[in-house]
Amino acid sequence: MKKHNKPYVEWLLTLPSLGWLTLFFIIPTIIVFAIAFKPAGVNGGIGEGWTLESIRNLAQPSYPEIIFRTIWISVVATAVCLFLSTPVAYWLALQPPQRRQWLMLLIILPFWTNFLIRIFAWKTLLHSEGWLKYALVSLGLVSPDAILLYNSGAILVVLIYTYLPFAILPIYAAAEKFDFSLIDAAHDLGASRIHAFFSIFVPGIRTGLFTALMVVLIPALGSYAIPDIVGGASSEMIGNKIAQRTFVDRNLPHASALSACLALAVLIPMMISLIGRDRRFTKKTGGKKA
Amino acid sequence: MKRSRFPLLISVGVMLFFYLPIFLLVVGSFNDSRYGGPWRGFTLKWYERLLTERDIWAATENTLIIALVSTVVATCLGTIAAWVLHRYHGALQRTHYLFMYMPLVVPDILMGISLLLLFVNFSAKLGLTTITLAHITFCTSYVTLVVLGRLQDFDNNVVDAALDLGARWPRIIWNVILPMLGPGIASGALLAFTLSVDDFIITFFVCGPGSTTLPLYVYSSMKHGSPTIINALCTIFMAVTAIIVITGQFLMNRRQPVQQLRS
Amino acid sequence: MEHFIELRDICKSYGQQAAVCNATLELKKGEVFSLLGPSGCGKTTLLRILGGFQYPDSGRVIVNGQDITDLPANKRPINTVFQNYALFPNMTVWDNIAFGLRVARMTRKEINVEVDRMLELIDMQDHARKKPGEISGGQKQRVAIARALVNKPQLLLLDEPLAALDLKLRQRMLIELDNIHDEVGITFLYVTHDQGEAMSLSDRIAVMNNGSIEQIGSPVEIYEAPGSSFVAAFIGDTNFINGQVKEKIDHDYIRIELEEFNSVLAWNDKQLNPGERVDLSIRPEKFRLFRNKPEATPYMNAVEGTVEDIIYLGAQTKYWIRVGEKLVSVQQQHGRFLLDETPITWGENVWVCWHANDGYMLQRFDEEDASMLPLPPEEDLEDDEEAQ
Repeated sequence: MKKHNKPYVEWLLTLPSLGWLTLFFIIPTIIVFAIAFKPAGVNGGIGEGWTLESIRNLAQPSYPEIIFRTIWISVVATAVCLFLSTPVAYWLALQPPQRRQWLMLLIILPFWTNFLIRIFAWKTLLHSEGWLKYALVSLGLVSPDAILLYNSGAILVVLIYTYLPFAILPIYAAAEKFDFSLIDAAHDLGASRIHAFFSIFVPGIRTGLFTALMVVLIPALGSYAIPDIVGGASSEMIGNKIAQRTFVDRNLPHASALSACLALAVLIPMMISLIGRDRRFTKKTGGKKA
Repeated sequence: MKRSRFPLLISVGVMLFFYLPIFLLVVGSFNDSRYGGPWRGFTLKWYERLLTERDIWAATENTLIIALVSTVVATCLGTIAAWVLHRYHGALQRTHYLFMYMPLVVPDILMGISLLLLFVNFSAKLGLTTITLAHITFCTSYVTLVVLGRLQDFDNNVVDAALDLGARWPRIIWNVILPMLGPGIASGALLAFTLSVDDFIITFFVCGPGSTTLPLYVYSSMKHGSPTIINALCTIFMAVTAIIVITGQFLMNRRQPVQQLRS
Repeated sequence: MEHFIELRDICKSYGQQAAVCNATLELKKGEVFSLLGPSGCGKTTLLRILGGFQYPDSGRVIVNGQDITDLPANKRPINTVFQNYALFPNMTVWDNIAFGLRVARMTRKEINVEVDRMLELIDMQDHARKKPGEISGGQKQRVAIARALVNKPQLLLLDEPLAALDLKLRQRMLIELDNIHDEVGITFLYVTHDQGEAMSLSDRIAVMNNGSIEQIGSPVEIYEAPGSSFVAAFIGDTNFINGQVKEKIDHDYIRIELEEFNSVLAWNDKQLNPGERVDLSIRPEKFRLFRNKPEATPYMNAVEGTVEDIIYLGAQTKYWIRVGEKLVSVQQQHGRFLLDETPITWGENVWVCWHANDGYMLQRFDEEDASMLPLPPEEDLEDDEEAQ
């Protein structure tokens, strides 16, 4: 491949997007970390000097509970999403191409519907006069005065509902590339259906599973709108606390400290996986050259 | 080996899970009952009520202005970025790619608060401008990745052939690269537009007085308004997105046979 | 002798389209049997039915007198070497070979012994710890065979196993496959579209076309005595000559009135009577070319024509001779081409001769099969222009 012969062309073309991202993504992220060490000012401003007060505040007794709840809700939601998406992706990948296209559209459509609308749809379903409540009561599964909304269970269901399409897409992309003759080969060698599924198919789509894991777990950890709308006071997550500190308490340093925690929790595993992938990639191409 | 029925059952279940709530929401928007629930007869009065709400029209206008501006800017930035990322492979591009990739994986709330702090720090007035700046940031990343995906199938020899035939860069870009990348850029732009229209969390953090967008309006009426009016609003919102997405899909499908022939 | 493996009246269709129609086959113990045919002829469907990956709409599959038609793949005493090898990419060579034994819950010790024995058979002891992505195509091929053979199947199915290899490697693997077969003595069912592979490896061949079996026989029978115009044209090159029986010369030979040129003599294999239609297939290498009319000998045919096209192929030369309205393709070996032969050139007048026994009477003839035969380069060119 011919290269441009002028070296500054690359810089010139990279500058707009790189500059934009530096200004509106990298610098703000650094500011978050910096403000975590600032004192709170009057009227919701930021004070002068440096302090560890906000960091120390993270040790408040209410936080461990919230952090623990955030983690378990996110992990359960991710696990359920992966568990449901894998058979769906398997089934989709085996459909004839023409039908597959329409089925994919059916899966993508809810993914395109507004996020708030999806939450709201569930809120009306779970509402004390909603259809689901009505159905469950008439089936005798819950008592008429049970409350389905404003608890961790409601958050979990809506999280799964929201992120399931995001989990199906990468797993399906991997399943579509999967060579299904491997499943035939496993049967041929005597493996049962379940054995073939777990020992051949699941390892075969592991990159898709990994992407799906990231795509669900990370936004779930940072979710704000879902617990805000269908959750209650006893089921707050980190996101709610950040918003509360920002808009209600007007304590930006405190909100920053919380955000910095969340950012570290999300960015560190991501960096590790990216670097790992990068190294694997260079190793592969290096191997080919040799 | 006969196929197991289990994946089919799960898939059908997942489809029901996806569509039942939406379906009931649409049904509810035609229900003549103030709080949803049991069917009380067909009505269009919630839609009529919706039309008379002035705030909705203002919010729609804001949403469209923000979406159009950020789509145009993000599409330009993203297309150039994708091209550079595709063409060069140095340390600079690795950093570039990392910067591009991170906004996609970082939770929305972090992006929202960090941008809010940036704007507060520089005492910028929160409003349409700050929302647009924020939207351009995440839209650029999406456009870049979509176009970059298309570029993976792009045959670099075509550019070399054009150079070999004596074409200059402006001509190559206009007559060779852009037509071939057209569908990719279009789907990137479509994605950017929908994401901008849909965004709630980031907008929520960087909005100011008088800059209410549709999602913000939906959110506040969810908290205070009558659920049936929101049902009607949501139904219209979904219908519009569905039409855009299906048209987009249809356009892409129509192009596909040509591409298959080429490959 | 009871046949070892039987397919009886197998039918299978996808929607409206019949993939296999009334296929009946019998395999003998220990033989290499090939299913040969163009792509889409139903040979792979038949193999998948034998392997248990698909079930026939009607018909039975019988192994050793036992009906296994409804048995799933993982319960059949049959193993398969897949077209693209289908090696498990997440496992090492060793684990791939051990897969079937582990599924069968053999002890660790037995597995070690069996896998090592197989690695030795395919000469891959040094590569046991590598992943399929790290070995070459030929090695993958050998691992795929070992993975199937280690289970000691009664029948080994090979689905175009050499299709993904380049020519040189294919020839080497062909010899290797033959050696492996000699060593293990298992019945092989080999599916291929490559007549060369089928001819050199098989004890018997079934030629398939449009979902049905055209002919079953040894490679020699298939080549020398093709049953139909399809078999004659698909395997090797040939010339079709169509006409009517004019008269019986004696008990064995007839004179044929041809559509395109002079009457010729042919061996009356089918015992036809005057007036009946005859379709002959004559292989190009059966002809002899002479500059001058050769002396007449009994049952020898000689017709005069002009050389229209020549392709020099190294080991032999191919000629297209225009005889009347017909183009006859002729293949000739030669001696010292440059030194003491004066090569026949374009436009020369020549005599094409063959013995009456060299024409073989076809049971079935279909005009369309003639389109499979190679045309001289110039005719090809004209065809292309017409197509455009």
